[in-house]
Amino acid sequence: MVDRPDSVAAPQPAAEPSSRRRFLGTLSQIFLGLWGLGAIGVIGAYLRPRARGEQVAERIVRAGQLEDLRIGEARLVRHGTTPFFIVRQDASRVLALSAVCTHLRCILDYDRERRGLVCPCHAGRFDLAGNVLSGPPPRALASYGVTVRAGEIFVHL
Amino acid sequence: MSAPTPDPGRAPRRDWVAWLERRLNLSEIFSFVTHFGFVHTPVDTSRPVREVMHGVASEPVPSYARGPRVLGLIAAILFGLEALTGVLLACWYRPTPEAAFPSTLTIARDLPFGWFLHQMHAWGAYLLIAVVTLRLLRLFWDGLYRAPREVLWWSAVAMAWIVVQSDFTGRLLPWDSHSYWSVVRGLEVVEAQPIVGPLLAFFVGGKVVNEDVLIRFYVLHLLVLPALFLGFFYLTFATLRRVGLSPVAETARGTAATTYRDHLFSMVILAVLAFGVLVSLAVLAPLPFQSQADPYSTPAGMRPPWYMLAPYALIERGFGPRWLMGAGLGIASLLVLLVPLWVRGPEDAAARRQTRLWGGAAFGVWIALSVLGMFLDRPR
Amino acid sequence: MSARAPGLLALVAAALVLAAPATRAQPGNPTPAPAPPSASSAAGKCGVCHPRERVQFESSRHAQEDVHCVSCHGGNDRELTVPAAHSAGFRGRPARADIPKLCASCHADESRMRAYNLPVDQYALYQTSGHGRRLAAGDTRVAVCSDCHGAHDILPPSDTRSRVYSLNIPRTCGGCHGDAKTAAGSRMKFNVFQDYLTSVHGRELVDHGNPRAPTCVNCHGVHGAAPPAFGDVGKVCGQCHSEERRYFVAGPHREALDRAGLPECVSCHSNHAITAAAPQRLATQCTGCHAAGSREEALGKRLWTEIQTATAEIDKATALAAQAERVPLNTEDYRARLEEARTYLREALPAAHSAQEDLVAGFTGRARSVGQEVETEIYAKLGHVRTRKLLLVVFWFYLLITILVLRRFRRSGRGA
Repeated sequence: MVDRPDSVAAPQPAAEPSSRRRFLGTLSQIFLGLWGLGAIGVIGAYLRPRARGEQVAERIVRAGQLEDLRIGEARLVRHGTTPFFIVRQDASRVLALSAVCTHLRCILDYDRERRGLVCPCHAGRFDLAGNVLSGPPPRALASYGVTVRAGEIFVHL
Repeated sequence: MSAPTPDPGRAPRRDWVAWLERRLNLSEIFSFVTHFGFVHTPVDTSRPVREVMHGVASEPVPSYARGPRVLGLIAAILFGLEALTGVLLACWYRPTPEAAFPSTLTIARDLPFGWFLHQMHAWGAYLLIAVVTLRLLRLFWDGLYRAPREVLWWSAVAMAWIVVQSDFTGRLLPWDSHSYWSVVRGLEVVEAQPIVGPLLAFFVGGKVVNEDVLIRFYVLHLLVLPALFLGFFYLTFATLRRVGLSPVAETARGTAATTYRDHLFSMVILAVLAFGVLVSLAVLAPLPFQSQADPYSTPAGMRPPWYMLAPYALIERGFGPRWLMGAGLGIASLLVLLVPLWVRGPEDAAARRQTRLWGGAAFGVWIALSVLGMFLDRPR
Repeated sequence: MSARAPGLLALVAAALVLAAPATRAQPGNPTPAPAPPSASSAAGKCGVCHPRERVQFESSRHAQEDVHCVSCHGGNDRELTVPAAHSAGFRGRPARADIPKLCASCHADESRMRAYNLPVDQYALYQTSGHGRRLAAGDTRVAVCSDCHGAHDILPPSDTRSRVYSLNIPRTCGGCHGDAKTAAGSRMKFNVFQDYLTSVHGRELVDHGNPRAPTCVNCHGVHGAAPPAFGDVGKVCGQCHSEERRYFVAGPHREALDRAGLPECVSCHSNHAITAAAPQRLATQCTGCHAAGSREEALGKRLWTEIQTATAEIDKATALAAQAERVPLNTEDYRARLEEARTYLREALPAAHSAQEDLVAGFTGRARSVGQEVETEIYAKLGHVRTRKLLLVVFWFYLLITILVLRRFRRSGRGA
């Protein structure tokens, strides 16, 4: 029924189109166009993706209890699009390493036997300090600041 | 996209229609659209689209966008708005019992214009039911179910039924306390019935309102029922192309004949007005937002929606078991379909008066039951 | 799998049937000593003539721990004839005055109690108590161990049937201290039990069944039960009501009451029939000591108004938040802040014990300002809802112009 309002919104060419009539016609068309703009604005604002997974909402992430992590061991913390490993170096020091391979953004695995991080995509290897041992990764892993308060690990992203 | 007048003097300047026409049969596309539109003349797909549209536009029609004849049009407009807002709402909605309410809350509270789309959708549903019901009454009153218009009547009844079912299924989706419990109670009545009950339980995914039922309702509300509605929409216009528009009664001013183009503008103006009314309702009288549904606590003062007050009164205060009342209602709604077969005699004033009397009496009982339902079990 | 299940079941059933006689045969066998020897031999043969005592005793804690009839009563529990059994240091029913000493013969013995991790100071404490001192003075009507713990049916205090289980303590004490007959002829007040039952503590314990509510022993002590010394009442109450006590000590009342020789908390709150904390009492309580129309009464009234207005402010903000929630608007942040305001308000009540207006006003003022802040912010948000309505007018203006434009197009078409 209202399948083609646009088709009729166009001005009818008058027998002798005076400039005033044409101006009014154009003005009316612009006016009707404003409705379309409004609709696009409303729907666009509504549909705009929320920056949820992309931005890291919290700058400080709780990464669990210190005592749950044995010395010399690493654990993956699944935090949004910035997953990271926490590595316990000794009784009190903890390191937080990005778990995203510097080669092609695959997520690294922890190799328990060889105490290192392995990329499942192209077999890049990193040690538990984030340095490249072998494989295609071009640079060392990024690390984040860590504080331990009351036995709990906090990572500053 | 352009003026339907073929103007050879201006053609070379911007004739992208002709450019497209050489590569694509635009008239065929236009003829497809007419199946869902108000163009009730056959379209010759071998002619260029401009000519076809010009022919349609200059066709003389009775000035039709008046009085009760606009009801079907408004129903179509409301359905279009429901589809648009519905698609937008579905972009954020998540149909699981855990996420349904929080996601609805996100839409209605946190997203820009989310509240607006949500309220438009809810109010549009109410208006759609009202308009479809009024249209049914109008068709009955003017005897438009008589041969050869039976199919028109049946599809009108079916569309009214689909709209009510759409509202019922859509009611559950926000998973708030009110929607949840009204669906639980509604399902209890329907499922207590002998044959229809188990059948319905089969289709909605069980007798307990849980995540399985929610996803079925979601599918029914988003896919099945709108598709069925569009099907009957198509059927309505297919019938109209065969039997013609309803005859315009001779008024004191006489039948003002206009062109189809004029008529189309009148309809667009009506659409704009309907949109304005819906926006005003959504802004001025937003429907209240309840808390999340808790299957372990029934809120006090549960009321069915306004159009279900009469069945509610009948089932709660009827003389007989619930399933009997429910079955009676079901049969009555089926009998409505048989009206064209029942009234088959010659159309004279006496016969028309008698049918109107019957229909009026039935409607009166409905209104009385609705009023009764309105005052039933009010929380004190 | 399912076809094999009956076979499996039959196997298990058969095993059970075979095993059943074997397990049943063991206790039925008379010759070997039963597994816990103390359980059935605790009463020895005394129970033949004293069945009622035997039943009571066998359910008690002592029966499980190698204590026998003869441990307290003396005699020989292996003999069945009265002369033989009632011999060998037979004590019979111990005299009331001897009971504490008798119990203490085990319970004050560190080497015996170590295995049970029980304290051994009860007897020493008892001797300092009101009961113990009067018993030493020769008054045998006072409570001895068995009056509270029972004689044969002694149960640990953790047992809900025990007379010393926290919910049962008031009734145990009230058996004497709530009975006009036992109180006759002594200085004892007999209505303390009834008073306690009407108090906020008693209602919490009895009506709400809250085992943490204070009973008699929380103020008076357990084995060393005695009325708190006159000057110590405030300290006793302050053990739980520490904030109230802190503010009270900082205020002028403590010194004044001490000088006037009046008890601290009890002067306003009574001792046993303590009513629930009700801030409106600030407006009425002062005239109990201060003259009507005095400066002090006015201060009390002002404190009450202070708390009242802050409460009203928070209630108003809460109602607004609920209203905003129905719109719906996001109010989670406000709920947290209103909770903070209510915490300030809750602190204002203990602060009122200082009878210092600036201290109370510090809390109520903070509560009020948080409430007002929340209100303004919600009003601003609700204002958006009003803006929507204003925008609706603009919308209709546009809509009407649109219709005019459309009508103009229609007319122009007609002209063509």
